[in-house]
Amino acid sequence: MTRRFPLVYGTLLAVSALGIALALAQIFLVAPEERVMGAVQKIFYIHVPLAAVTFLAVFVLLVGALGYLTTGRPVWDRLAVAACEVGWVFCTLVLITGPIWAKPAWGVWWTWEAKITTTLVLWLLLAGIVVARGYATTPEQAARVGAVLGVVAALDVPIVYKAVDWWRGQHPIVFGPGRGDPLAPGMGRALLLSMLAVTVLFSALVVLRMRLAALEEALAAAEDAAGRSW
Amino acid sequence: MSFLRAASAIAGKDLRIEGRTFRTAASTGLFALVVLVVFAFAFDLDTVRRLGAPRVVPGVLWVTLSFASIVGLTRAFEIERQRDALTALALAPVDRGAVFAGKGLASLAVLLALELVLVPLTLIFFDATDTVSLGALALVLLLHTVGLAELGTLFGAVASRLGRGEALLAILLLPAATPLLLSAVQCTKGALAGDPLSENARWMLVTAGCDVLYFLVALLVFESVLEEG
Repeated sequence: MTRRFPLVYGTLLAVSALGIALALAQIFLVAPEERVMGAVQKIFYIHVPLAAVTFLAVFVLLVGALGYLTTGRPVWDRLAVAACEVGWVFCTLVLITGPIWAKPAWGVWWTWEAKITTTLVLWLLLAGIVVARGYATTPEQAARVGAVLGVVAALDVPIVYKAVDWWRGQHPIVFGPGRGDPLAPGMGRALLLSMLAVTVLFSALVVLRMRLAALEEALAAAEDAAGRSW
Repeated sequence: MSFLRAASAIAGKDLRIEGRTFRTAASTGLFALVVLVVFAFAFDLDTVRRLGAPRVVPGVLWVTLSFASIVGLTRAFEIERQRDALTALALAPVDRGAVFAGKGLASLAVLLALELVLVPLTLIFFDATDTVSLGALALVLLLHTVGLAELGTLFGAVASRLGRGEALLAILLLPAATPLLLSAVQCTKGALAGDPLSENARWMLVTAGCDVLYFLVALLVFESVLEEG
């Protein structure tokens, strides 16, 4: 990882930059304007991929947390902390882009609908993990706390979704059985490109954060050794 | 030592301490009462009567209970922090899951005792005694308090290990307990309106499922929580 890092990270960053440029061109220059909502609908191409990647981050967090709890190897913790923090940033962006779309489309900035509420609860759960880790006195304690809370948070998210769904409902269902292909051809391509670009960007940031975690561990170990020899 | 014996020994120890000092019951009960009175100022009785008690009281009750449980569950681990008793507990040659089960059981008992006083008071303060079905309400309270005690014990141990109290427990527990709290309010609404339990069977089943899931997850991860350093 250490030697290959610049290559891996550089490649991912270049691909995501290219992907974002292509996706933006597709979104604003090629994809047809939506008949009813007009230009506002363009944020859909950003919002949906961000949301999808946020929930991908939760899955990665679960994998990292379970990996750390079973093996105790730091690399799994690095994966978990990276997924948690980068996912939290993406989750924030989802919560910002959503209302910008919701106000013109639904007439309200916010509604307590299942997907939105779940995203907000997820944001709180991830924030809780970040805050709790910050209180830890040793890297091992931070890793254990992060893993325990990560497992609970990740398992909780689908239950939260189902519970809020029963409690309330009303997200636009764009994809679903029996709805055919709801998007004009240019729209589908824009969404797909954006999805790929955002996913690669997420991977790049995760790799970067994992690298940072590894450097932090190395620094702590070096300081520890220096402190002991003095 | 078998799992059950270890768990009941730990729960017994906690309840014995509580029985001699009443410190958790006193602080938690008083706190709950204060929150309830604040709610009574926020929603006057006319408003409650106009909306119908079953629409207002479940929210009041569960916000009060969940806030009070944060105070109670923090105390449950505070007693272990004196003279670093938690480390001694972690050293005990028993399954770590049994430590979780014991602490959880004691907290559950304290919360149920609190409810025994708080729930009748809430019903009286908010004039919600007319249509209530007490059997259904008892079952609803039990089922949801179990889940709250489980999550609260797990997160309470985390907060205690990190040297933080109520503030950290609150930000960890309340979001994670979202499904429990939603379900609790729905089911309590039904019980207060006197509806048969079967109308909320779906919620009750999910809560029972959550209770089992949280228990199993906590059994698996509690070892990592107890570990020191």
